[in-house]
Amino acid sequence: MNLEATNLVFEVMPRFEGYAYPNEATPHPLWTVLIVLYPYITGLVAGAFIMASLVRVFNVRALEPVYRLSLLTAFAFLICAPLPLLLHLGQPQRCFQVMITPHLTSPMAIFGFVYAWYLMAVLLLELWFDYRKDFVHWARQTPGWRGLLYRVLTLGVDDVSPRAVRLDERLGHALSVIGIPSAFLLHGYVGFIFGSVKANPWWGNVLMPIIFIMSAMVSGIALCVLVYMVLQWARRLEIDIRCLDTMAMFLFYALVLDAGIEGLDWIHRVYSAEEGFQIMQSMTQEKLFYTLNVGQALLGTAVPLAVLGVLQLARRRIPDIWRKRVCFFSALLIMLGVLAMRWNVVIGGQMFSKSLRGIMSYKMEFAGLEGWFMSGVLFCLPFVLLIMLIKLFLPKEPVLSGQTLPLREPAESCATI
Amino acid sequence: MKRKWNRRGLLGSIGAAVTGLLALPVGRAAKAAVQKVLVSTSAPRGYDPTKHKWQMAIDVNRCIGCGHCVEACKKENHVPEGPYYRTWIERYVIAKPETGTGKARGKTWVDSPSGGMRGFPELPIPEEDVLHTFFVPKLCNLCEHSACVQVCPVGATFDAPDGAVLIDPNYCIGCGFCIQACPYGCRFMNPLTKTAEKCTLCYHRITRGLKPACVEVCPTQTRVFGDLRNPTPDDPLEEFYRRNKVQVLKPHLGTEPRVLYAGIDKEVS
Amino acid sequence: MSHGNDRSPLARFPRIPPQILRLILLTAAIVFSYFGARALLTPPSFGQHGFYRGAALGEVAAREPVYAGAKACAECHDQEVAALASGGHRLLACEVCHGPGQVHVDNPDIKPQILHFSHCARCHEASISRPKWHKQVVTREHYSGSNCTECHVPHKPEEVP
Repeated sequence: MNLEATNLVFEVMPRFEGYAYPNEATPHPLWTVLIVLYPYITGLVAGAFIMASLVRVFNVRALEPVYRLSLLTAFAFLICAPLPLLLHLGQPQRCFQVMITPHLTSPMAIFGFVYAWYLMAVLLLELWFDYRKDFVHWARQTPGWRGLLYRVLTLGVDDVSPRAVRLDERLGHALSVIGIPSAFLLHGYVGFIFGSVKANPWWGNVLMPIIFIMSAMVSGIALCVLVYMVLQWARRLEIDIRCLDTMAMFLFYALVLDAGIEGLDWIHRVYSAEEGFQIMQSMTQEKLFYTLNVGQALLGTAVPLAVLGVLQLARRRIPDIWRKRVCFFSALLIMLGVLAMRWNVVIGGQMFSKSLRGIMSYKMEFAGLEGWFMSGVLFCLPFVLLIMLIKLFLPKEPVLSGQTLPLREPAESCATI
Repeated sequence: MKRKWNRRGLLGSIGAAVTGLLALPVGRAAKAAVQKVLVSTSAPRGYDPTKHKWQMAIDVNRCIGCGHCVEACKKENHVPEGPYYRTWIERYVIAKPETGTGKARGKTWVDSPSGGMRGFPELPIPEEDVLHTFFVPKLCNLCEHSACVQVCPVGATFDAPDGAVLIDPNYCIGCGFCIQACPYGCRFMNPLTKTAEKCTLCYHRITRGLKPACVEVCPTQTRVFGDLRNPTPDDPLEEFYRRNKVQVLKPHLGTEPRVLYAGIDKEVS
Repeated sequence: MSHGNDRSPLARFPRIPPQILRLILLTAAIVFSYFGARALLTPPSFGQHGFYRGAALGEVAAREPVYAGAKACAECHDQEVAALASGGHRLLACEVCHGPGQVHVDNPDIKPQILHFSHCARCHEASISRPKWHKQVVTREHYSGSNCTECHVPHKPEEVP
């Protein structure tokens, strides 16, 4: 009797070492690089907004030059944030169902409302109150479609009396105050999406939303540093060194907090060594070795902490040019480090089996809706949008909040009334 | 640019808004009436979901790992080829402890080649080194507090009143959150429909008085199925409860799974 | 004042700053559109039994069975079922060996499959993972041919020549 006939040709080589539930042996993880991008982008939004709030709420006057830039950056990234989600959904044409029948026990259902609230009630409104008088003035002076755009943006209100402007400022301030918890909610719920999954020990713990928020703040401030420096360089303008120093200071302290909380998470996991610890340790050593140890820990946290720390201690003794280089370099490393952190959380959580007995091997593709190329495009898109926003709303002459300058006729100036 | 507010304009705008608002419930009622004519009612063929409570139990002592249940499920439910299983079988092999290690038991191997659909190959270790080995069928655990239902953002997966946990494939948006949330790995993303899918307890069979396909083809009555609200005179579930002390999978997660297992080992998770 | 003649109804109310007024109107428009869209787009059976489309129960139950079930076979093939009833395969469903049968029940001209030796070995190949009371043989030692039905009658497996 032919034993080979009973003996069993298996359809695919197992995509795991050890044991994984059969449903986990798919060629690709369920949540891929698109789902890495989404928390990254919303984190940048929240962080950039917090930067702007430092000016309004905490009266950090040194950051005045980047106030509007931070808000515009937050806006550009917020507009692009839903794109990775839409591309990832199996049935994207049904996405509106999240707003129509939101299942309120699900953190994901909050997305539609938190996003809408943050976009409309916080960010757009704060931008509007800050820009309103400028829109009125620019609408009067700019011809063509640009003038029409500014007219539309005034919402038909052309009152720029001192009382109206004071009201704008008060309302803008109130919005900044509301905006801070809203920003935490916008990104905190993403952290909670992962933190609420008790089935996955890599994700499901109480620190996850806090870690997400802290790393969001760090990445957002770093983004503002980079955007500000690149913009000033592109316009051949001077960088306000006091502003840069203040940003570097906030970046450093935010990074200290972030590293502290992530360190606490790590210490707790290693110390209490709960059920899944063994497999998660194997997974980090095999699958996440470079992204975790080199990307997130060394280059993304330790190196920037060290250099920014030196900058804080020895600030006056370091020449301006070196301070700028250090800031730029650290901000870049931090941005990469936070991206690595998102990768480690999202992809890492899917690299080991829920049976806690196996580690999976997945392929990451280059092409296709969920590949590297699409992610690259999606990440460049907010920058393209930001360039357009800067051209429209951030004139070249240094603009301090509350002051307006004409766009086309430098001879005629309209100061604030 | 100045807008002049006048009474006529304002009243006109308010009137238009109110008319628009009133039109919405009228439109909706009309749409519902049309849909009611075209679409079947939610009660399938006189079946009342509130009058049943389906229960599944697994007697691991009886499983021979033939894989007929896995194959039947794939065929019955048109599950796509590939690593997509609504039910599967795991084989556990627990080795004897190595001499001198001072341990009570040795290493454990678990495998499930193609879900066990075509049976199992040779053991990973020689027979004489084996302490225990057995097969464990797995499926949706019909949790009382399903984590999957809790995290669905749109209400596409739900606890039916009769105990089944179902997915509405016409409403699922394919986000995959439920698949991540299920601790037992019983859900998957169907590559063809791009929606989540899982064991439905062969809902289309049990509502017609048939048994789920896996229960139908099991040669050794490993899978015990019944209706807790309408027990038959020779109900196999009652005998199962009488004969066996039972366990559930991953009780510490608080999902309160209702599928009962008899004869599993601590290594089964 | 940037708007309104004195007969405007709004002149009677305490003066709302124009930007606030515009924003209130815009917000009201957005909120009403949202609730309108929600009313229109929510499926009619949603919420009938719980937070889901009630019609989904019917849709899931409306799928057509592929396996007919043992009772269906007995309606026509009562002889074979009776033969089975006394032997070791009495609790074995017909469709385990003969494959899904609903197609055959609907159209008897379409014959179900008849399986060969490899199918028997699937259950009866000896393995220590299988319970001891289950009849199993090491097929390599038991039989060198390719058709178990040379000796065994599937519907009466204990009958051996």
